[in-house]
Amino acid sequence: MEIKNTFFKKYWLPSILFAVAFILPLVITQFWIHVFTEILILGLFAIAFNLIFGYMGQLSFGQAAYYGIGAYTTGLLMVKANWPFLTTIPISMITAGLGALILGCFCVRLRGIYFAILTMAFGQLVYFIIFQWYSFTGGDNGLQGINPPPWLFGATPYYYFTLIIVTIASIIIYAITESPFGYTMRAIRDNTERTEFIGINVYRYMLINFVISGMFCGLAGALWGPFNRSVAPDLCSWQHSGHPVFMAVMGGPHHFLGPMIGSVIFTFLNAFVTGFTEYWPLVSGIIIIIVVMFMPGGVFGIIKQKGYLSKKQAVNNTTNGVGH
Amino acid sequence: MEFTFIFSQFISGLTYGMMLFLVASGLSLIFGVMNILNFAHATLWLIGAYLCFTFWSLMQSYEVALWVSIPLAALATGAVGWISEVVLIKHIYKRELHEQLLITYAMALIFGDLIKITWGPTDRLIVRPPIIQKPIHLFGAPIDSYFIFVILIGFAVAIGLWCFLKFTKYGHIVKAAVFSREMVSALGIPIPKIYTWVFTMGIFIAGLAGGAQSAIGSVTLGMDMAIIIQAFCVVVIGGFGSLMGTLVGSLIVGEIFSFAILLWPDGAMVLIFVITAVILIVRPWGLFGTPLRA
Amino acid sequence: MNNDIILKTENLSKSFFKYQVLTDVNYVLKRGMIAAIIGPNGAGKTTFFNLITGYHTVSGGHVFFCGKEITNWQRHKIARIGITRAFQVSNVYPRLTAYENIRQSVLAQQKRTLNFLTPAERLAKKETLELLEITGLSPLKDAEAGILSQGDKKKLELALALASKPDLLLLDEPTAGMSSEETHETMELVKRLNKEIGLTILFTEHDISVIFGYAEKLSVLHQGVLVAEGTPEEVRQNKEAQACYLGEEI
Repeated sequence: MEIKNTFFKKYWLPSILFAVAFILPLVITQFWIHVFTEILILGLFAIAFNLIFGYMGQLSFGQAAYYGIGAYTTGLLMVKANWPFLTTIPISMITAGLGALILGCFCVRLRGIYFAILTMAFGQLVYFIIFQWYSFTGGDNGLQGINPPPWLFGATPYYYFTLIIVTIASIIIYAITESPFGYTMRAIRDNTERTEFIGINVYRYMLINFVISGMFCGLAGALWGPFNRSVAPDLCSWQHSGHPVFMAVMGGPHHFLGPMIGSVIFTFLNAFVTGFTEYWPLVSGIIIIIVVMFMPGGVFGIIKQKGYLSKKQAVNNTTNGVGH
Repeated sequence: MEFTFIFSQFISGLTYGMMLFLVASGLSLIFGVMNILNFAHATLWLIGAYLCFTFWSLMQSYEVALWVSIPLAALATGAVGWISEVVLIKHIYKRELHEQLLITYAMALIFGDLIKITWGPTDRLIVRPPIIQKPIHLFGAPIDSYFIFVILIGFAVAIGLWCFLKFTKYGHIVKAAVFSREMVSALGIPIPKIYTWVFTMGIFIAGLAGGAQSAIGSVTLGMDMAIIIQAFCVVVIGGFGSLMGTLVGSLIVGEIFSFAILLWPDGAMVLIFVITAVILIVRPWGLFGTPLRA
Repeated sequence: MNNDIILKTENLSKSFFKYQVLTDVNYVLKRGMIAAIIGPNGAGKTTFFNLITGYHTVSGGHVFFCGKEITNWQRHKIARIGITRAFQVSNVYPRLTAYENIRQSVLAQQKRTLNFLTPAERLAKKETLELLEITGLSPLKDAEAGILSQGDKKKLELALALASKPDLLLLDEPTAGMSSEETHETMELVKRLNKEIGLTILFTEHDISVIFGYAEKLSVLHQGVLVAEGTPEEVRQNKEAQACYLGEEI
C-alpha cells in the first residue's frame, strides 16, 4: 500500500492526465480525437526539444529538421518500399539520430545565439535538400498516400496507438532526465564552466543529449506521416522549429510536462481558432507576446509562483519530484 | 560562355545582392547594437513594398509616382518601426535570448497577417514609369534598367551609413555601442534613446528596400519568409554589426545565387546554407565581425 | 623526476593581448604540504591557478603534475587526473540544491554520469551526505545554492572540489566572506584532510592569521613575478616581500 501511495503522490499529475487522455475518445467527436492525436505528437516533439532547452539550457531553432527526417523516413519507406509502419518507426529514430549526430557535432561547439543560428541554418539546409530533391522526396509536392496499416485506420485506433507510443517515449525521456545524465545536463545548463572542472567532457555530453533529442523528434515525425497521410518539406522549416520552442515556453520549460501542456494549449487553440478565422498567425502571434511578456516560466512557472503546490510538494519538486 | 551573358548574370547578382544588403544592413545594425535578432525585419520590408504600392496607386496618374512613393514608404515603415520599438521591443532588451526570438517571431506573424488583412492575397503590381520600362544595354548585354536604380540606392545607403558611422557624433556612439554597450552607458549616454533611433533607422532602411523592391516584380505574400533567412545568412557571413561585412556578405550571396543557376540550379540555397554553416563553425563572428562579440 | 614533487611549473608566463600578467614563474610543490601563494590584488595568483587547471592557455612555459606534463590540457582532463579547485568567486550550480550540487560532483568522480536509466536520487547518497557533514552544510542540504550566504557558498565550493577526490586541491581565497568561526572550521577541515589522507593543498589568502596558522610554505607573487619563498617566518623577514606590500604588516 505504501508503494502505491508514494507513487501516486509523486506522479498524480501525469496519472490524471493519462487517465483523462484515455477516456477522451469516448466523449468527444472524431474531429477532436484528431486534434488530440496532433496534440500528443507535437507534445512529444516539444518534450524532446526541451531536453536541449529546459534541461541543457540551449536554444535550438532547428529541431524540426529531425522531426522532418523521421517523418520522411517513415513516409519514403512506406510509400516507395512498402515497408510496414511498425518497422519504419525505429528506423526513423535511427536516421533522425544520425542526422542529429552529424549536424550536432558542429552545433554543439557553439553556445547561445550562435548555437541558435547554426541549428536554424542546418534546419533550413535539410529543408532545402528535401525541397529540391524532387526525384527522391517529391520536392514541394511532398509525399502523398502514406496510409496507416488497416488496424490503425480510423481516428480512434490511431489516437490510442499514438497515446501508447508517446506515453512510453515520455516515460523513457523522463527516466533520462532523472538519471545522472539528466542531472549532468542541468549542471551544464547552470554552470557549464564548473561542470568541466568536475571532470566532465561537456562537448561530448552535449552531443549525446542532442542526439537523444533528435531521435525522439524523429519518433514524433514518424507518428505524423501516417496520421496526416502525407509529408511535406514544411515539416523541417524554421517556422515549424519555432512551435516546440513556444510550447515549451508556454507550458513551462522547467517542468517535465510543461511542453506537453504547452502543446495542449497551443494545438487546441489552433484547431479552435482556425475554425472561424484564417488569421491564426495573427492570433498566435498575440498569444506568444502575451505569454512571453506576462507569463515567464509558463503555466507551471505560475503555479509554482503562486504556491498552489503545497510546501512539501514544492520541496519535493526541487529535489527529486516531477520538477527539478 | 558568352561575356554578355556572364555580365548580365553579374548585374543580376549585384542587384539581388544590393537588395539583400538593404534588408540585411538594418538587421545587422540592430543586432550589432542591441543584440536583437529581428525575425520581423523582412516582414517590415514587405510592408514597405506594399505601402509603396499603395502610395503609387494613389498617385498613378503622375509620372513621378514611383519615385515619390519609395521615400514615403520608407518613412511610413520607419514610423511602424518606431512604434514597435516604443511599444514592445523596448521591453525585451534585458530578456533572455529565447524570449527575444519568440517576440520578434510573433511580430513577424502579426505583421504578416496584417499585410494579408490590409492588402488581401492577390499579387500587387506596379506599372513602371516609361523611363525604366525598356532595358538598357551595357557592354552589349540587355540589363533591366531598374536594376541600375536599385544598385545605386544600395550604394547610396552603404555610403550614407558609412559616413554616418565615421563622421557624425551619433555614428560614433553607435559604433562604440556595437563594441561595448556597458561602456557607452557608463559614459552617461542615454542608451534607451539610442536603441530607439537605431531600431527606427534599421526599419526605415528596410522600408526603403521594400519600396525599391516593389517595382522589381510583383509584390506577393510570403516574400518576407523567403528573404529573412537569406538576410540572416548574409549577416552571419559578413559579421554582425559590421557594415563592410554586410555589404560583402550580400554581394557574395547575391552572386552565388546568380551563378549557381548555371551550374547547380537546385543547389543555390543549399550552397548558401553550407557556407553559412561553415562560417559559424570556423569563424562564428563572420568575415568582418569582432571576435569579442562571441 | 622526484615522486615527492606533485606540482612543478617551469617559466610559466601569461599575457592577455599586450598585458603581461605572469612572467617566468618557477614553482615547486612537494606532495603532502599545505602551501600558500600571497600577493597584492592583481599580482596574478588567480591567473596562476587558471593556468594550472586549464582555464587559460599558457603564453609560455610548462606545468607538470607528478612528473607528467599537463600544459594546456583540457579542463576536464586535468580535473580527472587529480587537480581540482575551489573558485574565488563561488561558482556553484545556483538552481540545484546544495545536496544536488555535491552529488553532481560525486557522480562525475564515480564516472556514473553516462548512466541514463537509474534515478539519480538513489545514487551517491553516502558520499554526498558525508561531504555535506564535513563541510558543515548538512542543515542546508535542500536549499537552492543560489540563495546561500557567501560563506556557505564557499563551503559548497570546497565540497564540490573535494568530491572529485583530488590529489592536489587549489583553493582561491577559501575563507572570503566567512566569520572567524567558519574560517577556523574550514581551515581545520583542510588541515585534517591534509593529515589524514595526504591531500596536498595550495591556497591563496588575504587573511594573515590563516596564512600564518596553516601554511607550511609561503610564496609571494608581485606583478606576475615570484619575489620571495620560504616558511612564513622567513618570508616575513624578507625585504622584498615587505616592499611589495608597501609597509603593510605581514
